[in-house]
Amino acid sequence: MTLGDARARLARRQEQVVAALVAGGEVPEGFDARRLRVQARSLIAKRRGVVARLRPDAAAAAYPDLVELFAAYAAERTEPPPSYRADANDFADWLRRQGRMRSDVREPWWRRLVRARR
Amino acid sequence: MTATDLPRLGLGIGWRAEIDLTVERLPGVEFVEVIAENVRPARLPESLRVLRGRGIPVVPHGVGLGVGGAEPPSPERLAHLAACAEALGSPLVSEHLAFVRAGGVEAGHLLPVPRTREALDVVTENVRRAQDALPVPLALENVAALFGWPDDELTDAEFLAELVERTGVLLLVDVANLYTNQVNLGLSAVEALNRLPLTSLAYVHVAGGEEHGGLWHDTHAASVPDRILDVLAELCARVTPPGVLLEWDDAYPSDSALAAELARVSAAMARHAA
Repeated sequence: MTLGDARARLARRQEQVVAALVAGGEVPEGFDARRLRVQARSLIAKRRGVVARLRPDAAAAAYPDLVELFAAYAAERTEPPPSYRADANDFADWLRRQGRMRSDVREPWWRRLVRARR
Repeated sequence: MTATDLPRLGLGIGWRAEIDLTVERLPGVEFVEVIAENVRPARLPESLRVLRGRGIPVVPHGVGLGVGGAEPPSPERLAHLAACAEALGSPLVSEHLAFVRAGGVEAGHLLPVPRTREALDVVTENVRRAQDALPVPLALENVAALFGWPDDELTDAEFLAELVERTGVLLLVDVANLYTNQVNLGLSAVEALNRLPLTSLAYVHVAGGEEHGGLWHDTHAASVPDRILDVLAELCARVTPPGVLLEWDDAYPSDSALAAELARVSAAMARHAA
């Protein structure tokens, strides 16, 4: 068996695991479904912490239901976020759609600059 | 390369932007680590320049390379690690034995590699490529896992020992992760210490976590429990580690609480030092 075969096989299996953890994919054969659920929840908790730091306004709007609201947002999202920043902004948009965050709040002037520089 | 070629690092703490002044002020800090993905080599944070000015070694610690992935490590990510090491004058670079993405999807976490002979061949080749691209030695860290693979044939320690043998990669032994895998996967921490080639030890990580539903979560956001300090003491009974570093990533306590935590780490190291 060549290294290329080994890489291809490892790639398929790692893709299945990542899909099960972050994209609502099925639990791959032989894995402990409960453990993968715990891992998936732990990933959501980690995302929630980073998102709350990046968008404290969204975390404040979700208070005191941040844990439940972020879990609901994450469950609706089948496409994993490309970055923590995108995750944070999408969560804020999701809260607005839920009526949990005022949409008439103007964004701080400096956020336009930050966006322009990226 | 053996650990004896490495400089003594001493007692350290993970440098984070949120606690930069604390790290500068904490007594007894002899080296720090910086998350490589969080710095730009051309524009280093002032605090890191201050520490370097005092001669404190700074080790770039990568979290995004995914050397345990199916794909060869990205040349861009390796170039970034190399540039960090050059800019900081680092004695080594560290990363994890983990995969972090697959099929273009980011997992957002360090995930355990299947501990099979077949995966070992892939990871060996990945580590060699990483070593070729770096100007300083690479150390790999054992990760904390919440799940195992159904076809695991080796223990974590056996997998790492084989990797060290094949590539000469150095070890970053995280004793909190050894403890995590003992609780979560039933892999004995003491047996792991017996199996790991500690002559290739670059340094050690220690951190706190939380238990939920019988599983240990390595959160780096709480005081280090005595059970993890016991694993550190066990390690120090076998070998004098070149360095031991406390990781604290969230829910930062007061400066005095961090100083007290470092003192507990020092005491555990001295308990029955080799």
